[in-house]
Amino acid sequence: MGVIILLVMAAGVAAMLTRKIPTAFALVLLAVAIAVLAGAPATGKNSVLDTVVQEGAPMLAATMIAILLGSWLGRLLDETGIAGTLVRKIVEFGGDRPVVVALGVLAVSTLVGTVTGSAPAAMLAGIVGIPAMIAVGIPKTTAAGTILMGIAAGMPFELPIWQFFSTALELPVETVREFMLKLFPFALTAAVAFVLVETRRRGVEHTWSLRTAPPKSSQRKRLGDAPWYALLTPVIPLVLALGFELAIIPSLLAGILYAVLTTTRPGQISKRLLRTFYSGVEVAAPPIALFIAIGMLLAAVKLPGAVDALAPLVKGVSPQNAVLFVIVFTVLVPLCLYRGPLNVFGLGAGIAGVLIAAGIYPAAAVLGLATSYNQVFGVSDPTSTQTVWAAQYAGVTPQQVMVRTLPYVWFVALGGICVTAATSL
Amino acid sequence: MTVVRATPATWHPDDIDHAVRLLAATPTHEGRDPDLLRQWALTATEFGASLPATPCHARIVQLQGGLDEGLLARYTSRPAPTLTLFTDSVQLAERVIAENGWRDWYPPGSVRAAALAHEAVHAQLHHGPHRARLKRALGHVVLRFGRRRVYGHVAGTEEIAAHAYAQVTCGLGRSPLVLTTALSEHLNLPPLTHSDRREN
Ligand SMILES: [Zn+2]
Repeated sequence: MGVIILLVMAAGVAAMLTRKIPTAFALVLLAVAIAVLAGAPATGKNSVLDTVVQEGAPMLAATMIAILLGSWLGRLLDETGIAGTLVRKIVEFGGDRPVVVALGVLAVSTLVGTVTGSAPAAMLAGIVGIPAMIAVGIPKTTAAGTILMGIAAGMPFELPIWQFFSTALELPVETVREFMLKLFPFALTAAVAFVLVETRRRGVEHTWSLRTAPPKSSQRKRLGDAPWYALLTPVIPLVLALGFELAIIPSLLAGILYAVLTTTRPGQISKRLLRTFYSGVEVAAPPIALFIAIGMLLAAVKLPGAVDALAPLVKGVSPQNAVLFVIVFTVLVPLCLYRGPLNVFGLGAGIAGVLIAAGIYPAAAVLGLATSYNQVFGVSDPTSTQTVWAAQYAGVTPQQVMVRTLPYVWFVALGGICVTAATSL
Repeated sequence: MTVVRATPATWHPDDIDHAVRLLAATPTHEGRDPDLLRQWALTATEFGASLPATPCHARIVQLQGGLDEGLLARYTSRPAPTLTLFTDSVQLAERVIAENGWRDWYPPGSVRAAALAHEAVHAQLHHGPHRARLKRALGHVVLRFGRRRVYGHVAGTEEIAAHAYAQVTCGLGRSPLVLTTALSEHLNLPPLTHSDRREN
């Protein structure tokens, strides 16, 4: 039966790869199929409808709320001009030296990446940041890569991600935080190295473009400069969650309040809060759909029937020796790309669930693997929205961005997997 | 800072309009005061016109495919300084000039010359001392300590300077930006906007 479940999973991956079905829908179908194959009854204890669908759907509810708050804060950073002001200041101060501008935009992306993830984060830093970098001579692929590497450097501190791994892998938030602190130096080193090495290798690029400005200004409306103390907004949730060990949702809410109080006249506050909340909901819709589906998939692979069927198969191929562990999982890194089977926000979440439920690795080791893969997925996957957006906005293909960034994020994954083998195996 | 003005003695107001639009569409200038943008456009134009004529030391490469990339020419500083001239774009530009009856403004062969001159300015500003002078001329103060001032970089002004330099050194009757706009319309290229959003 285990083999059949694996075949069904492979079919699911194929459906996602070929984009026959959106990832979220494919995962729901997979969850139901796995539960049925595992011999789960329709209703009752460990059943298809009650356990997988009813209890699985809200399993990651705390993550969904965190994502929603992150998106809300992201919308506020945009609407209040905080993100735009940060980028504008960087260009004004460092515009003569392209590498300084790129490092500055990288820093802004990292800050933004701690608040929200995926395409919304790329847009926040990139809508002004990418054309600004190109205007000072940074080549397009480097410009897109800088945004993505920056967001990924902030990812270890992205509070919704902490919540996701904490719930999905049934680990306390403190454990997740501890590992993320060890992963962060690798992510930051790789990001800074990307900017320094790539600007050195590719130099600057200036063009005579055939594209011109629109005759009538269809530009974004004037936002004005946000006051300097408002620019601290992105670090507020981080300081609270990291420094004061406050819970994730109150930390994010504090950031939202700080952003609106420092930028908005009192009479406008509730209106602005409500408006940005609603557009935040829209921004958060794709990840929320995914998290509903992942919850069901996790519930399905944890069914006793599924664990019994899959455990012997997975056990046979999972390396226990630390050196082998590092080699095998580092070589498998590309499997998290193109919606592959190790994509943490896809079937990879289910595989992580199997590894833990079957007792093959300790949950902390699975956390290390999943977060390391996430660093690769977040930057280089040419099918994920942030990579597609950043590449297209810069005027290159997502594949070009993947080729340029993959060596750097592969190094991050190697670092994370080494730490995992040393501490959690 | 005095800027030595070269020919032409007065700029066509429409040329400056084109430059202002280019600045307005450059990120970091969203919603900036149009009068300030006009002042910057004029300053950058005069600065570009005042640049000493320098031969371009970059390697020159001629390629097809400029129309696909939306480019007329490109300067890259690494691995070796290289100036790429897109021959298909240059050919189209010459055709559009002829069709519009703009030969007085842009004599035959002037597009190629202008492209080389344009990219030579980028090379010169990237390697040479002139960049600081442009910053001082623009006078965009971003920080003050007592009497000391820190001047900020104004994105897009180097592009305007490059076009002005090309116009003067190649003896063009109008700014290359006028030609760029015509080409853009001819190709029906989407204008530069900063709000392209896409979700999958
Ligand atoms: Zn140029």
